[in-house]
Amino acid sequence: MTTIQPTDFRTLRRWVRRTQAEHRERGATAGNVYFAILFVAVVGGMVHRQLAVIFWPASPNASVLAGAALILAGVGGLFLALRRLGPLGLSRPAASWFLTAPVSRRKLLIPSLRLAAAGAAVAGALYSIAVVGHAADRPLPGSSGVLLPVVGALLGVVLLLAALAAQSRGAWGSRADNVAGLLLAAGLAGFVIDSAVAAPRATASWPAAAVAIVAAALALLVVPLLALAVTRLAGTPNDRILEAAKTAGTLMDSAFGVEPSFVIEMVERRYWANRRLRSRRLWGRLPVLTAQDLLLVLRRPRRLLWIAGAAALPALFEHAPAWVVALVVLLGGMIAGGVSTGNIRTDAGNPVMLRLLGLDSRTAITQRLWVPTLLSGLWYAAALSLLDALGDLPAGPWWALGLTLAPVGAVAAIRKARAGFVRNELLPLDTPMGSISPGPLLNSVIGPDLLLLGLPAMVEIAQGHPLSWMTVLVQAVVSVTGAQAYVSGSTAHDRVELTANR
Amino acid sequence: MVVDKPAVDVSGLYVSYGSTPVLIDVSLHVAAGEGVCVTGENGIGKSTLLRCVSSLQRADRGRIRVFGTSPGSTPEFWRQVATTVEPPTWYPGLTVREHAELVCRAHGQDPEEAGVDGALEGFGLAGHADAIPPSLSSGQKQRLTLAITLLRPSSLLILDEPEQRLDPEARSSVAAMLSQYVANGGTLLMASHDDVFALASGARILTMQTLAASETAAS
Repeated sequence: MTTIQPTDFRTLRRWVRRTQAEHRERGATAGNVYFAILFVAVVGGMVHRQLAVIFWPASPNASVLAGAALILAGVGGLFLALRRLGPLGLSRPAASWFLTAPVSRRKLLIPSLRLAAAGAAVAGALYSIAVVGHAADRPLPGSSGVLLPVVGALLGVVLLLAALAAQSRGAWGSRADNVAGLLLAAGLAGFVIDSAVAAPRATASWPAAAVAIVAAALALLVVPLLALAVTRLAGTPNDRILEAAKTAGTLMDSAFGVEPSFVIEMVERRYWANRRLRSRRLWGRLPVLTAQDLLLVLRRPRRLLWIAGAAALPALFEHAPAWVVALVVLLGGMIAGGVSTGNIRTDAGNPVMLRLLGLDSRTAITQRLWVPTLLSGLWYAAALSLLDALGDLPAGPWWALGLTLAPVGAVAAIRKARAGFVRNELLPLDTPMGSISPGPLLNSVIGPDLLLLGLPAMVEIAQGHPLSWMTVLVQAVVSVTGAQAYVSGSTAHDRVELTANR
Repeated sequence: MVVDKPAVDVSGLYVSYGSTPVLIDVSLHVAAGEGVCVTGENGIGKSTLLRCVSSLQRADRGRIRVFGTSPGSTPEFWRQVATTVEPPTWYPGLTVREHAELVCRAHGQDPEEAGVDGALEGFGLAGHADAIPPSLSSGQKQRLTLAITLLRPSSLLILDEPEQRLDPEARSSVAAMLSQYVANGGTLLMASHDDVFALASGARILTMQTLAASETAAS
């Protein structure tokens, strides 16, 4: 048997970089760096005031409860984001060529770990600055101001290490995801409760000594765990690394092509690939495609729970202008209706199954309209009832207005699902800020544009007058007429394909 | 089922990809209730011909009639014609059996009476009834596509190399089913590289050369 000596990975990487550099134009790298710095400077100059409001408002504006909710949501959200990204991954070429090559696995993966640790630390530090800026009493003692972002950064690295352990030993990974999901949900619930009750503000500065002790304790925890992670790096299973490489590749494709459907498709594919299903009979009394949509929705109970919980989120905008609340409510119903539009997305992308089914596009869309209508209607009714109960809306039958909005959210969700790929072939628009491709912009408004059918409700919420049954009736007529017009205008009895008109 | 007109009638068909002609003056006549298998080397235009007959590709020139009318994207056309010329994109969260049931129900068939379970058994998919189609191997996906295509009612089957990715046992089983389909009055138009499979399917073999009035570019 031939013994293959491991190749020095650093030499190999240097050779790859040198070869790549030889194929680039002279000065291309310097040009890229120059444009990146220019971009950051220009965007930073444009949005620095908004960034200040997000990270460090003029005075603290959140209660202790909101601060705690921010921390919970941040911990849960960052962990879930790290888990979705890998966190340990490779580029697709590296996964193809180096993962199977006789190179040191540890040396191959260390740059990825370094990058992930830096990203998690920066995210943790920035997030902690925002939490402190919104919730901590001022002035902060001198050392706390410096140490709190350090605590955030260390916490980010701890979360990364936990995600890393979950990646290499998958048995408890899904349980950790569940816990993180619960933390995120608890954080969001905390925000909603905070908007409903007058929770107290922080009155005392965080003691500098306690912050220093926490920072020291976290540092003592992080250093040995990081060393342990590096020594065990080579044991990370190949399939997990390949999965993370595919995720990174899809994200890059999606970013370069400005095509979010790549990511949506990947997430959906992975979800179903990890599920164990049992075939069941479709409900014979329902139209066949309605039964299929219902089955799809019932098979994702967790997503339903998230959507149900999200009905409370418009309450977070109680201090925003009323039209913002109205817009958030209308968009929320569209997202709720979109839970069941995966089948429409499939048919719009490739009509082969529709041809096998032999159904015309009008029958197909009519049958597929029922479940989104149900979901949107229930969501609108719940969201508006909750706003009403919290006293954020004037008196009136808001639940009824919510139900009349059902067709609006449903047709908007369906139109969005039929939007297809972003049209990147459109001529770019020249603006004072440079050229803008109109394709992504156009694609993002296909679907939400139909929310204009909810204009009567939007005006009612924005004006802040008590809601009358007449407005409910007007909205009901507009919703049903608009939905009918959409279906008859975008489908036909003599055509199978869904894409001719969306 | 329409039997008084030819199932497929193609004459003077021209198709080219850019400057490369693929079909030159091709004619094809398939009577209703007949099986025809088009054979020929790779790149000679078999799939292109089937795609044109299925209305999935536009010809540069020529006349195509399917049961006396132009093929199109109407539901009436697709209720008569079932094809595997294009591989399907499977629905998310729907199992193998549920895909078969969905297609049956959409055509007004009772899944039990249509024989969904028997078809899955016959195509060796009974053990995968609860799997989602993307998790199947390419051969199993091919079997599922054929099973669904044969389960639903149709008057014309257009199949592009149905024997591909099937093991020998599955080949003879599929050939028997296609032969039964033709015996029951269905029309079969397929492309294949396997003459034995084609004959076992009850199909008359025609080479692409015989369909072209003049020689095709590939030959």
